[in-house]
Amino acid sequence: MKKEKRTTRVTDESTFRRRRFIAGSLGLGALGAFSGLRYGDGVSVAKETQPQQVASADSDMLVSQESGARLTTKYAATHYNNAYEFGWDKTDPYQKSGAFELKPWQVTFDGLCAKPGTFDLDDLMGMPFSHLEERIYDFRCVEAWSMVIPYNGRPLGDILKVVEPLRSARYVSFTSVLRPEQMPGQASAFSTLDWPYVEALTIEEAMHPLTFATFGVYGDQVLPQNGMPFRITVPWKYGFKSPKFVVRATFTETRPDATWHIENPREYGWYSNVYPDISHPRWSQATERRIWNESDIERIPSRLYNGYAEEVAHLYPGNRQQYR
Amino acid sequence: MHLALAAPLCVLGLAWQRHALGVDPQKALILESGIWTFNLLVLVLLLPIGARWAGWPQLLRYRRAVGLWVFTYATAHFTFFLSFYLGWDLARLAEEIAERPYVLLGFAAWLVLMLLAATSTRQAMRRLGRNWKRLHAGVYFALAFAGVHYLLMIRSEWAWPVSYAAIALALLTLRLRRARRAQS
Repeated sequence: MKKEKRTTRVTDESTFRRRRFIAGSLGLGALGAFSGLRYGDGVSVAKETQPQQVASADSDMLVSQESGARLTTKYAATHYNNAYEFGWDKTDPYQKSGAFELKPWQVTFDGLCAKPGTFDLDDLMGMPFSHLEERIYDFRCVEAWSMVIPYNGRPLGDILKVVEPLRSARYVSFTSVLRPEQMPGQASAFSTLDWPYVEALTIEEAMHPLTFATFGVYGDQVLPQNGMPFRITVPWKYGFKSPKFVVRATFTETRPDATWHIENPREYGWYSNVYPDISHPRWSQATERRIWNESDIERIPSRLYNGYAEEVAHLYPGNRQQYR
Repeated sequence: MHLALAAPLCVLGLAWQRHALGVDPQKALILESGIWTFNLLVLVLLLPIGARWAGWPQLLRYRRAVGLWVFTYATAHFTFFLSFYLGWDLARLAEEIAERPYVLLGFAAWLVLMLLAATSTRQAMRRLGRNWKRLHAGVYFALAFAGVHYLLMIRSEWAWPVSYAAIALALLTLRLRRARRAQS
């Protein structure tokens, strides 16, 4: 029971479809920006299951109640993070994020869109936090470790549609918050990264139903170490392509910069899709260490597009080398 | 003295057993064993300098013991890497050595240390005669390899690797200057 060999995508297929239907119906209420984000009164919404996990008899084993999939424990997923804003060590994000203020939080949408605007977090959620969709995604870090994490949010595309990107918009650039007084990593003299953190996706990637506007993990909104109160989750790419603490999304025609890509383009490609056969210059990406909890780390083969090839491979025609 | 030198490894082992190494103990073990290899490597090279500057020739006697501990820590570091990152796949080790300079340098440093450990007996000293000294000057190669090995690990935070590289460079410079003076 300890070594569960299941490594396929864990979101139950029918659940996934049902939720897509609900999310798709959002567009019906798109009268103004605000009502577009909100579930309309006329749209009946089945109350989503509360994100819940139960610990099995083995207390280190966390299982999703809904799908039965094994999850990484919340402790592991919240005490081992990369968020250089708080420091380079994996423990810095939970240890040094105490001063970080999660509220109030606003996100600006601008650039090439017909209805630019600034929204409060509650408007972006468009529904009570507990009603948000839960998606279980495999999270694959470029450092060749991975976790299985339940995310709470809604498809990013549903939010982007509301501000009506123009035809000329080919990319979406995301900017993270800049608060050196609350984020010691941003104030550190020893970091070579430029702040604030920026990341970007093509418009097709950003609108893809798997791309998830994330407001919480494990049903918990109060986790700055995981990028809350607002991050974007892109499960088929290495983790750094999923920006944290996002305060701005800008539609552009030309390809925007991305923090790690500028830092070292040879090691961090602009697309950074998970390609097990294309090595990072300093380590192989063929396998990953799946972290279930502190005492159960399993070496497993990595999968093309982190296991989401069926859904996203069509976005990348031609030689994969150009999408590394 | 052996107790003091074994302590970091024992602490690591105990912490591992008690799940006190955080969420990713594998990574912690690799990092810590690497750092301690470097610490002891620096220590063993400081012994002759200390002996000269402080006028404590008895320090020289500890070189063999400390040196053997350097090899022990390096072996632990290598073993952790082999086990956690490569799953004992030796074909992959060969691939990694061929493709990745930091693995190559780390492996080369370990080979040098192994050679020195293997020839650390009195018998070997006698058999090798004057060549023994030359061979054991190879510890400076291990130091240089280790310094660059650590530098190559930098992602964004450079303070520690650069500090260690600076110490290594200082030790190398001192040694070279002394060698030149001895020649002239």
